[in-house]
Amino acid sequence: MQPFTYARPASLTEAFTLAQQPGAALLAGGTTMVDLMRGDLTAPSSIVDIGHLNELAAFDTSGPVLRFGALARMADVAEDATLLSAYPALAESLQLAASQQLRNAATVGGNMLQRTRCVYFRDGVSACNKRVPGSGCSALDGITRDMALFATSEKCIATYPGDWGNALAAFDTSVEVSSASGTRTIPFAELHVAYGDDPAVETTLRRGEIITAILVQATPAGRCSTYLKVRDRQSYAYAVVSATVALEMQGDVVQSARVSLGGVATKPWRSHAAEAALTGVTLNEQTALAAGHAGFADARPLAENGFKIELGARAVARAALVASKRI
Amino acid sequence: MDGSIGTPIPRRDAMAKATGAAQYAADFGHTGTAYAALKLSSVARGRITRVDTAAAEAVPGVQLVLTHRDMNQDLGAETFIMKGGHMQSSFMPLTSDEVHYSGQIVGLVVADTTEAAEQAARVLNLEYAAQHGFASIDDPGRTKNTVEKPEITVGDADAAMAKAPVRVDQEYSTPAQHHNPMELYATTASWNDGKLTVHSPSQWVMGQRAALATIFGIAAEEVHVVSPYIGGAFGCKATLLPHTVLVAAAARRLGRPVKLVVPRDAMFTVGSFRPATRNRIAFGAERDGTMVAMVHEAVGQTAEVDHIAFPGTNVTSRMYDIANIKTSESTIATDVNTPGFQRAPAEASSFFAFESAVDELAVALGMDPIELRIKNEPKVDPVKGLPWSSRSLVQCYRRGAELFGWDKRTPGVGSMQTDDGVLIGYGCATATYPSAMVPAAAHVALSADGLLRVRTSAHDVGTGAYTVLGQVAADVLGIADEHVRVELGDSDLPSGPMSGGSVTTGSAGSAVHMAAMALREKLLLVATAAKGPFAGRDPATLQFASGHVVGADGTAHSLADILKASPAGSLDASAEWKPDLMDAEKMQASLLGGFALEGPVTKTHAIYSFGAQFAEVRVDPLLRTIRVSRMVGAFACGRIINPRTARSNLAGGMVWGASFALLEQSQVDHPRARFANQDLAGYHISSCADIGEVTAEIVDETDTVVNAIGAKAVGEIGIVGMPAAIANAVYHATGIRVRKTPILIEDLLG
Ligand SMILES: Cc1cc2nc3c(=O)[nH]c(=O)nc-3n(C[C@H](O)[C@H](O)[C@H](O)COP(=O)(O)OP(=O)(O)OC[C@H]3O[C@@H](n4cnc5c(N)ncnc54)[C@H](O)[C@@H]3O)c2cc1C
Ligand code: SF4
Repeated sequence: MQPFTYARPASLTEAFTLAQQPGAALLAGGTTMVDLMRGDLTAPSSIVDIGHLNELAAFDTSGPVLRFGALARMADVAEDATLLSAYPALAESLQLAASQQLRNAATVGGNMLQRTRCVYFRDGVSACNKRVPGSGCSALDGITRDMALFATSEKCIATYPGDWGNALAAFDTSVEVSSASGTRTIPFAELHVAYGDDPAVETTLRRGEIITAILVQATPAGRCSTYLKVRDRQSYAYAVVSATVALEMQGDVVQSARVSLGGVATKPWRSHAAEAALTGVTLNEQTALAAGHAGFADARPLAENGFKIELGARAVARAALVASKRI
Repeated sequence: MDGSIGTPIPRRDAMAKATGAAQYAADFGHTGTAYAALKLSSVARGRITRVDTAAAEAVPGVQLVLTHRDMNQDLGAETFIMKGGHMQSSFMPLTSDEVHYSGQIVGLVVADTTEAAEQAARVLNLEYAAQHGFASIDDPGRTKNTVEKPEITVGDADAAMAKAPVRVDQEYSTPAQHHNPMELYATTASWNDGKLTVHSPSQWVMGQRAALATIFGIAAEEVHVVSPYIGGAFGCKATLLPHTVLVAAAARRLGRPVKLVVPRDAMFTVGSFRPATRNRIAFGAERDGTMVAMVHEAVGQTAEVDHIAFPGTNVTSRMYDIANIKTSESTIATDVNTPGFQRAPAEASSFFAFESAVDELAVALGMDPIELRIKNEPKVDPVKGLPWSSRSLVQCYRRGAELFGWDKRTPGVGSMQTDDGVLIGYGCATATYPSAMVPAAAHVALSADGLLRVRTSAHDVGTGAYTVLGQVAADVLGIADEHVRVELGDSDLPSGPMSGGSVTTGSAGSAVHMAAMALREKLLLVATAAKGPFAGRDPATLQFASGHVVGADGTAHSLADILKASPAGSLDASAEWKPDLMDAEKMQASLLGGFALEGPVTKTHAIYSFGAQFAEVRVDPLLRTIRVSRMVGAFACGRIINPRTARSNLAGGMVWGASFALLEQSQVDHPRARFANQDLAGYHISSCADIGEVTAEIVDETDTVVNAIGAKAVGEIGIVGMPAAIANAVYHATGIRVRKTPILIEDLLG
C-alpha cells in the first residue's frame, strides 16, 4: 500500500470538492477498494470516504422508477420486500453475491464499480494492461477459463464480475451522477466500456463524479424474472456464468424478453439476440435452449472457456423456464 | 466432569479460542518491535543481476534491508527435512543470487511500522537475468526421475495381468494444492543475552529449536520456541520455514524484536504445498472378482532444488489380497518451492486414483463395489505377510453401508433421480492411514491445590491434543476433568514429537500415560507407607476414582490427603516413552529434536487405521453442477480417547476430501511458471453451503500392539477415501468417469 491522505467529508458538497482533486478516489463500503490498495493494484493519493453520507443510502422500489441511492447497502436492498416480489432477479443478484458480511458493508454503487477478478490483474506482478497500461496482457497465453467470450480485445480479455451490474443490464437502467459542475444521467449500457484499446479505462465517469443513484424503469417483466448464477461452489464465489431473464408472458407465449449474461463479457452484457429468439415463441425446454444458444452465436471462445458457450446457453434456458413460472 | 478415556468432553481450549483469549503467534507483542515485509521474486528461474536498495532505504522508518548480498556469513547450515534435518527445503533464500521459483524470498525489509516495511519492499529494486521456467509436471519436455529403491514387487504382476480375464488400466491426476490454514505464517523473534525466543505457529517446536540452534551457532537450550495455539497447520507448519530464520537474523542484527506476518499470497510460495500427481493404476481380476494383479506407477511433482515424493505405493499395495503386485515411483522436477507434507500427503492423492480404479473394476465386473472390496480383504499384509495389529475394514464397510443406506442404491448409471430429475449418485471408497510411532517425553505433577498438570512439547494444531492428553493422565489417576491443566507447544517442556503423520495422540499420549503411571506408583507408595492413610495395605488392592484412592473395603482418601503425607506436599513424575522395538539411542536423538519413526510396518506387525467412506452427490441434469448432499465415514482407529474430538477430526477430513474432489487446485500459469490463484477468492475450498450432512462414525476396535494406550491414527484418515468416493458417486450419477480432480462443471457438460 502506498501512502495516501484520508478525508471524511461532512456533506456531499464537500465530497464533490475533494473528489475533484487529481489522484482522489472514493471509498464507499471499502470492501474492494481496500483490497485493491493493499495489493498496490491502485494507488490513489487521497481517499474521500463517502460511506457515511446517509442522503445517498435511501432507496425506493415502489414508484414508476425504482431509485437506489448509491450508498444503499447490498444486504438492505437484497431484503427489500417489494424488490423480492416485483423484481426477484435484482434481489437475487445481490443475495447470491459475496457473503452476508460483505453485503452488510458493501454498497450497490460500489458493487457496480468493482474491478475484474482476472488473476493477472490481481497478482500485482504479471504483465497487465489494465494495471500497468502498455505492459501487455498475461491472460492471452495464460489461464483463460475465467476469461470473456464477448467484447474482448487484443489488449484485455477479462470478465466484468459484478452480479448486480450484470442483472441491472437486463433492465432499463440508468445512473445518476453528480459533481461540483452538476448532475447528469448515464444510460447503464454506457456506464461501463468494453476493455478495448486502453483496458485501464472501465467506465465513462469523469473525474470528480460521484454516482448518487441507480434508476430502473418499472416493468411488469420484473415480476417474471430471475438471476441464475452458476458457480464452482455453492456460495462465496463469482459466477462461471450467470443469466438474467425477465419475461412478459401470455400463457406459454413470450410477449417480451429481457436477457443479460454475466461471467462472459468484459462489461455487463445484454443479449439482444437471446431476447429476439425468445420473443413470440412458445416457451419450452427446446425453445428456451435455442434462445440460449442464440445468445452465444457471436461468442469468441479462448483456449479454456469454450464450455461457457454451452453452459451459458443452458443457464439462459433454465432462467427463462424459472422466470416464466413466476406469474 | 468425568474426563476419563472414552468420554466426549469438550475441548479444554474451546472457550479461550471462542472468546479470543487464546494468543496466536502474531498476537504476541514486545515493546520496541520492528516489523518486517518480504520481497518475493517475480521470475521463476534465473539470477539476480542487480540490487538497488536506495529507494527502499529512503522510506521513512526503514531500519534494515536484507538481500542475498547481506546474508551469507550469518547462517550456519541446516538440512532439508527429508535428509534428516528440519528445513522445509534444501534451498535457503537470500544465501545466493539464484532464483529457483516464482515467489521465492529475495529480500526482507524491516521498519518501524508494517506499512513502511511493505512500502519499502515494494520499491526495493531487483533486476534478474531470467530463464524460462516450468511449474507444472504437464509442461512438455519435463523429464521423469525414477526413484530406484522404493519399488515393491510381489509375485509377477505383468504375467498375472496378461492372463487376467478382466482388467482395468487408467491414469489419474491431481493438481498442486496449498494448505491455506486460516492462520497465516507469522514469526516474532527476539534476542536477549544471546538467547533467542521465537513465537511462530509450529507443529514441531523441538525441531525448530534444534534447527535454529544450528543455524545461529548457539546451544539448543538458548533457543525458546513458543507456539501454544495454532490456527490450522495441516503440515505446512511442520518444518522450519526460511522466513523464520530471516526474521531471527534480522532481529539479531537490529538488537530489536522483529515481527513478520506473511501475507496470504506469499503463503503459496514461502512454505510447502501438496505436489501434483499422476498415478497409473491397473488391476487384473478373475470374473468372480478375485483380484490377481495390481500395478501402481506413481509420478509426483517435486522441486528442482529438492527431491521429495509421496507416492502412496506403500499403502496401496497393502489394501487388497493380491498375489502379484508391482509398484514404481518417479518424480518430475519443476521450478517451484519444495513440496511438503499436507494432510495425508501420500494417501489422499494416491487413493483418489487407487479407489477410483477399484470402482472401475467393480463396474467392469458388474459387481457391487463393497462386495468386491470385501471379497479381496487380506488376512495379512500382502507385501510382507505380517499380521495386522488390527484391521476392521469389513466392519467399517458394514456399519457405514447401514448408516448410509447403501442398500437403496440401484447400480445402473443415472438410475437414481429426484422427482425433478436431479441425478443422484452413490459412491464409496476405502481409507487408510499408517500408525507410526515417535518417541516422546512428558511430565505430570499433582499439587496440593488438587490440580494435575500435564506437560509435553507436543502440539494442539486444532485437533484436540490439549483435551485428549489430559484425559490420558486423568484416566490413570481418576481425576475429574476440571482439575486437569495441560501445557503444550513450548520447547522448554519435555520433548514431544512433531505433530505430523497423525502421531500425537498415540506417541505423546503414551508418554503421558507412562508418566501418569509413574505418578500413580508414587502415590501408592506414599499412601501405603508407614505414615500414609493406607499404611500396611497391599497397593495392588487400591483403586483411583473420583479424585480419591479407594481401598477394597470402600475406605476412600482424597489425593490431597495422600499428598499431605508426602514430604513435599506434592508429587510429580517424568517419562520418556519409545515404541517397543526402537533402540534407546534412536529415542534420545529423536527427543533432542529428531524425528525417529517406528512403523507403520514393524518387524512384527503392519499397523494402520482403516475406514469406509460414502458419498451421495446430486448433479443438476442441465447445468451439471455437483453437490455433495451426504457423506458417511466409518472408521476403526483403535482406542478412541475422546469421541468428540476424534469425530471432529474425521469429519473435518471428510469436508476437506469434498474440497479435494470438487474445488481445490493451485492453478499453474504455464508461461510464467507460477501459481496463479494466490488468494482465498481464487483458491476455492468448500463453503458451508457446499457441505450437506456429514456422519463420522467410530467402529469399536481394540489394538494391543500399536502403543501403550492402544490408539491408532485419527488425524488424517478422514480425507483419504473421500475424493474417490465422490468421483465414484459422480460416475454413478452421470456415467462420466472423471480421472482428475477437481471435477468441474465442464467435465460433465459432455
Ligand atoms: C471475497 C469477496 C467475494 C466477493 N464476491 C462477490 C460476488 O460473488 N459477486 C459480486 O458481485 N461481488 C462480489 N464481491 C465484491 C463486493 O460485492 C464488492 O466489494 C462490493 O460490492 C463493493 O462495494 P463497496 O461499497 O465496498 O465499494 P468500495 O470498495 O468502497 O468501492 C468500490 C469502487 O467503487 C467506487 N465507488 C464507490 N462508491 C462510489 C460512488 N457512489 N460513486 C462513484 N464511485 C464509487 C470506489 O471508488 C471504488 O473504485 C466480493 C468481494 C470479496 C472481497
Ligand atoms: S485480461 Fe485484462 S486484466 Fe487480465 S491480464 Fe489481460 S489486461 Fe490485465
